[in-house]
Amino acid sequence: MAVYKRNYRPYSGALTASPWRFLVIARYSFAELFAIRFFGSVLVTCFFPSLVLAFIVYLTHSETVQALLNLQNTNFLAINNLFFVRLLQIEGWFALLLTAWVGPTLVSSDLANNALPLFLSRPLSRAQYVAGKMVVLLALLSSFTWVPGLLIFALQVTLDKGTWLHDNWWIAPAYFAGALIWIALLSLLALALSAWVKWKVLGSLALMATFFVPAGMGEVFNVVTRMRWGRLFNPGYLITVIWNDLFRDALHFHSAAWENIPVPLAWASMLSMCLICVWMLSRRLRAREVVRG
Amino acid sequence: MSAVIELDNLQVRLGGRAILNGLCGSLGGKSIGLLGPNGSGKSTLINTLLGFHPPAAGSARIFGQDIRTSSAELRAGIGYMPENDAFISNMTGVHFVRYMAELSGLPPAQAMERAHEAFFYVGLGEARYRKVGTYSLGMKQMAKLAQAIAHGPRLLFLDEPTNGLDPPARQRMVQLIREIRDDGGIHIVISSHLLRDVEECCDEVLILRNGSIAAISNLEKERQENRKFVELEVSALNGASGPVEGFTAAMEAIGCECARSRNGSIKLVMPAEVEVPRLYSLAAQQGVQIRRMNFRRTSLEDIFLQAMDGGSAAARSNGNSPPPPVKSQGVQSGSL
Repeated sequence: MAVYKRNYRPYSGALTASPWRFLVIARYSFAELFAIRFFGSVLVTCFFPSLVLAFIVYLTHSETVQALLNLQNTNFLAINNLFFVRLLQIEGWFALLLTAWVGPTLVSSDLANNALPLFLSRPLSRAQYVAGKMVVLLALLSSFTWVPGLLIFALQVTLDKGTWLHDNWWIAPAYFAGALIWIALLSLLALALSAWVKWKVLGSLALMATFFVPAGMGEVFNVVTRMRWGRLFNPGYLITVIWNDLFRDALHFHSAAWENIPVPLAWASMLSMCLICVWMLSRRLRAREVVRG
Repeated sequence: MSAVIELDNLQVRLGGRAILNGLCGSLGGKSIGLLGPNGSGKSTLINTLLGFHPPAAGSARIFGQDIRTSSAELRAGIGYMPENDAFISNMTGVHFVRYMAELSGLPPAQAMERAHEAFFYVGLGEARYRKVGTYSLGMKQMAKLAQAIAHGPRLLFLDEPTNGLDPPARQRMVQLIREIRDDGGIHIVISSHLLRDVEECCDEVLILRNGSIAAISNLEKERQENRKFVELEVSALNGASGPVEGFTAAMEAIGCECARSRNGSIKLVMPAEVEVPRLYSLAAQQGVQIRRMNFRRTSLEDIFLQAMDGGSAAARSNGNSPPPPVKSQGVQSGSL
């Protein structure tokens, strides 16, 4: 219709596939994120650990580079489960920092502008709305955690001429699962806090506090009560327990003093945290808020 | 007239309180007004029809589809303009509307095209690349209307569309609503506590009081029926009184009931078959000039006040259900 013909006309064209329409939310959220100054630079920085460790993998297999760097002994650069769990830990920190930066903007801006009725008056459920927002974090965090991690694994497999793959094949699924658990927890936490804390800075602080405040309080609880259960509220510790288990005791927890939280309990605690986040989202993400009384 | 919205003993409870109490009725107008005092349940009814609140009992259907079972399907064909500010402030107007259109299922290219069209349609064409957060209140209202119509819905819910608008902006909004109603195959539901807005835009009205239906009235019928009551101010071209009497007699001859008032005006009741142009031709034949013509019709205010006084009575004039008439002026009442 020409602009000068200012008449209303119904739409009769084709429609997009309904089950994938939540990706529209993800696309617009990505566009919004990349419009933030320095976001691209920060994202590139997150790839830095992977690049360094990829170089180390290459270094262990290249005698030329070792000679150039005058390295006599490369045994300390063993590519094993410890190498990959350390990579995952470093990437996990970057993931936490990036989530604390971008996570609070995702839902809070829609809530602050009262835009939820607009979203939910369309053929879009609350679950699809959350999925659309979560895809953003899942994709971003995946891009510099398990994706490069598996590429480094593939590099190691390609460069190794021996039986490394036969002995260490399980590292790849462990890496993928470990990263995915961490990403899922971070994404849910960020969205849940974003739904409850409208101010972006406060949202970032709240996310960081979720990791550090319960950890500190848990330790105080442990000291005061001489028990070990305080660590059940420490997401950082719990994920380390889970990673250690996935990577077949790479971190040698059995000899550490903080070995006492059993792995199933760590899983249960993590799952509970995720469920609490889902509950928080479900309580908050409504088209209309109902005031009781 | 097929039903757009059917309410079947619809009950909604929020926060432990009954907000809508067993609404029953069928609305089929091109433009339906939801009227009622503040807190009467107008917005709750719209929110329930949109699927925001689950019915505690009963059901509602839009275009024959149940709102519980076909919610997503229905919402694809619904446009919604909320009462309060609702937008994405850091997006430009056109991108905001495009985003909303894409969520309704339009492919990106078509969504962009229609977003531009919608912005020009509501008169914000020049401001479409400004961020929505910088818009004035009137512009935000128009942007909300643009996002509600961009995807070409079959049914448009407008919740207090003229809230906060100055008189010219209000007039523009009312004009737009009437154009949308008349232009496309779209039904409009307008929730308002402003009688004038509803009277200017709607042909059917549902009046709510304390969460119950106080009246359903077909305004179009009211208007047609009350067109009979006309007041004329006339003067003879030559200043004599003879032509005026002749004109009165001529009108009586075609079946009008006439009465001369003290100030010289003529009040008449026109039979249904007599149209207004006939009066002009009679006046010309008799050498009389019609200086002023007033149709006295029952205003929406009369209907509203009558409904507010009438207790929890459902009134209808569209013949969808036959409650016993207790009032005149085409408004019928019956117990729920």
